[in-house]
Amino acid sequence: MHEKTSVLSAQGLRKEYGKGAALVRAVDDVSLDVAPGESVAIVGPSGCGKSTLLYLLGGLERPSAGTLALEGRQLEQMPETGLARLRRHALGFVFQAFHLVDELTALENIELPALLAGSAPRAARERARELLDQVGLEDRAEHLPSALSGGQRQRVAIARALANAPLVVLADEPTGNLDSTATTEVLRLFGQLHAGGQTLVVVTHDERIAATADRLITMRDGRFVGETKLAGGTARGLTEMAGLEG
Amino acid sequence: MGRLLLLARLVVGDIKRRRLQSGLLLAMIAATTATLTLALALHGVTNDPFARTRAATRGPDVSGLFEPGFHGNAGTLAQFVALRRARGVVGASGPYPVTRIELSWRGAHVRTHAEGRDTDRSAIDRPLLTAGRWTAPGGVVIERSFADALGLHIGDTVSLNGRRFAVRGIAVTSAVATSDPLIWLTERDLIALAGEHPSLWYALNLKLADPAGAPAFANAHAGGPDTAWALESWQAVRADDSQTIFDEQQLLEVGSALLVLISIAGIAVLVGGRMAEQTRRVGLLKAVGATPGGIAVVLLAENVLLALAGTVVGVATGWLLAPVITQPGASLLGSAGSPALAPGSVVLAVGVAIAVATAATIGPALRGARTSTIRALNDPARPPQRRPRLIALSSHLGGAGLLAVRLIARRPRRTLLGIVSVTIAVATVIATLIERHAPVLGMRVAGNVLAASRQTSLDHVGNVLSAILLAVAAVNLVFATWATVLDARRPTALARALGATPNQVTTGLAGAQLAPALIAAILGIPAGLVVFAVAGGNPLRANPPVLWLIAVIPATLIAVAALTAIPARIGAERPVAEVLRSE
Repeated sequence: MHEKTSVLSAQGLRKEYGKGAALVRAVDDVSLDVAPGESVAIVGPSGCGKSTLLYLLGGLERPSAGTLALEGRQLEQMPETGLARLRRHALGFVFQAFHLVDELTALENIELPALLAGSAPRAARERARELLDQVGLEDRAEHLPSALSGGQRQRVAIARALANAPLVVLADEPTGNLDSTATTEVLRLFGQLHAGGQTLVVVTHDERIAATADRLITMRDGRFVGETKLAGGTARGLTEMAGLEG
Repeated sequence: MGRLLLLARLVVGDIKRRRLQSGLLLAMIAATTATLTLALALHGVTNDPFARTRAATRGPDVSGLFEPGFHGNAGTLAQFVALRRARGVVGASGPYPVTRIELSWRGAHVRTHAEGRDTDRSAIDRPLLTAGRWTAPGGVVIERSFADALGLHIGDTVSLNGRRFAVRGIAVTSAVATSDPLIWLTERDLIALAGEHPSLWYALNLKLADPAGAPAFANAHAGGPDTAWALESWQAVRADDSQTIFDEQQLLEVGSALLVLISIAGIAVLVGGRMAEQTRRVGLLKAVGATPGGIAVVLLAENVLLALAGTVVGVATGWLLAPVITQPGASLLGSAGSPALAPGSVVLAVGVAIAVATAATIGPALRGARTSTIRALNDPARPPQRRPRLIALSSHLGGAGLLAVRLIARRPRRTLLGIVSVTIAVATVIATLIERHAPVLGMRVAGNVLAASRQTSLDHVGNVLSAILLAVAAVNLVFATWATVLDARRPTALARALGATPNQVTTGLAGAQLAPALIAAILGIPAGLVVFAVAGGNPLRANPPVLWLIAVIPATLIAVAALTAIPARIGAERPVAEVLRSE
């Protein structure tokens, strides 16, 4: 029922590592449906399986059991090449450690997914400039990651995630390595994305960013243990709540 | 004492932990020093067997050949024979009649230098039978290297100027250089074979009171340019016998120089990889109080120890292999045995090995030692280099091309080392191809079986060297690819997260080796001509088929693709999430 209206759907998803006595269930029987334009925050303590779930949803890891669909296409049995092609256009990733390419400028980092997807270099560059403007870093286009602050790096990473206009952006602890000011910058950006109709799945243990979501899912020991619908949380409102308005 | 013990423990522990890398480093140094040892061991390798043969055959100090019409016409046979009584001569044998006779055996037709001798019991130059018996009517004795070259044995029947003769004996002599195929017959048979109007020459052997003065004696009595005879000192004969060894030595010297270069390239990649993996260890050592100097010593000691072990293996291998590829030829008594290895040669081989290991280690060791403790403990990736032009160019190449060029751009030193390594390998192949077409000795003259035999011996050495060089280059290539795979695990995992397919990543990783290999293949062609020239050949005369040379380029690319495909594929299939989570 959900799959018809969901952009991303996981049913009975499980991920196991090891065997016998050493078997660990990082994700255990998780089901999730994400509607287009919805923002979902998954919270929980460290090691509860949030990041593993995100990697499963993004096709970066194979589930041990369960089904996974993106826009109705089943991912769990899809060959690696098919998954890679799907990631190009349908998914954008934001990582806690930014994962920018050290030797590329901010602009070159942002255009990378478009180039890998086969866009013309000029089109990729124009799109990268638009995104750089969108994240407020137009004056940092030629800076290397080492010359950017943590918050600026994460904004570049968010712009990169949007390079191919993905259906869903998956963010793994996007504020985990940031100070308060940088967190505010990123919160604003996520708020803007949400307001613009971008589907978001954010894994975080930061309550402030979780509060910006439409839905808050709590995870513990690999399982969903609670779900709360938030009524129209916005970045602005919540940053004000958290006293981060700057 | 405590420090030394700690140093030894750290070094041994690390070598044990990285057995494969340590083994490869040791093998590379061993190959280099083995070749170097071979080249050094060949100095004077024929001296000993020549002296033995000379003593056993009562070799002359000066041998003369009266050849009217060949050298000149001035002087008579009587004047030539009178050399027996020249000042300084203490003994003589001859004159023996000599002529040119065509020996035919199983399709081979060889112009031989035939000497008439009824007995081998002469006072000077007493050929030593190594098999069979001396000449008798209808029988011929064959000089041993000539018999070996033709595959002749006692009892075989050969044709001499169309008449059948049985091979009665095989003998060695030190009177004549082995570049001339030599046989002995009875005087009567020789004269009969020479025909109705025989053009006989005469050989004369002289013993001098001062053997060392033989070259001066030969010069003094050689007469003018028109003199009908030629004199050759025993030193000149020895030098001629050493020629094959000399050519092999020259080839080995060029080969060991190339091996040293290719090994430096390989060792630099190996050591660079080892050092990159040791950053965290450096941090730990510093955290527990090790000084930068102490850390540099640990890192240096490890590679120098491996270099020393490799040298021991290499010197021993070279010393044991020397007799196999440097047989002094059947023309001399006994084999060369394991040639005496001068202490200087050993020191040189050890010095080269340690210099190579130190040169490759010192930079990364000092860099590692200077790294701040916190930074080292965090184990950061070595910062990649930025090449804006290559990055801009790569944007136009699509997924795999983009990845390949960017991988090249971030590690230019490794790319350069790869180019050096493949260029040397290609140059070796080119030099070998040219050599097959225009042998270094230039002696593939029809009928000169001895020259052909010498060329075969040289080819053998060349093949062994080429095989070693190509093997080392292949190991270098696989290792360079693996180093790239390890170094690029984060960017390639990221590329896959951003939508690059496994095939694009595999092609990108292999392409990072293929593009430099293309440059190396092109550079390797002129470099091969240079190698051929340095090894004693004449590239202007070589004229190898152009198609062969051009075919080396695609062949190189195919070989590189085959060698890099597996490590590249393994790199591309690493779990993305695992890599991204670990960084």
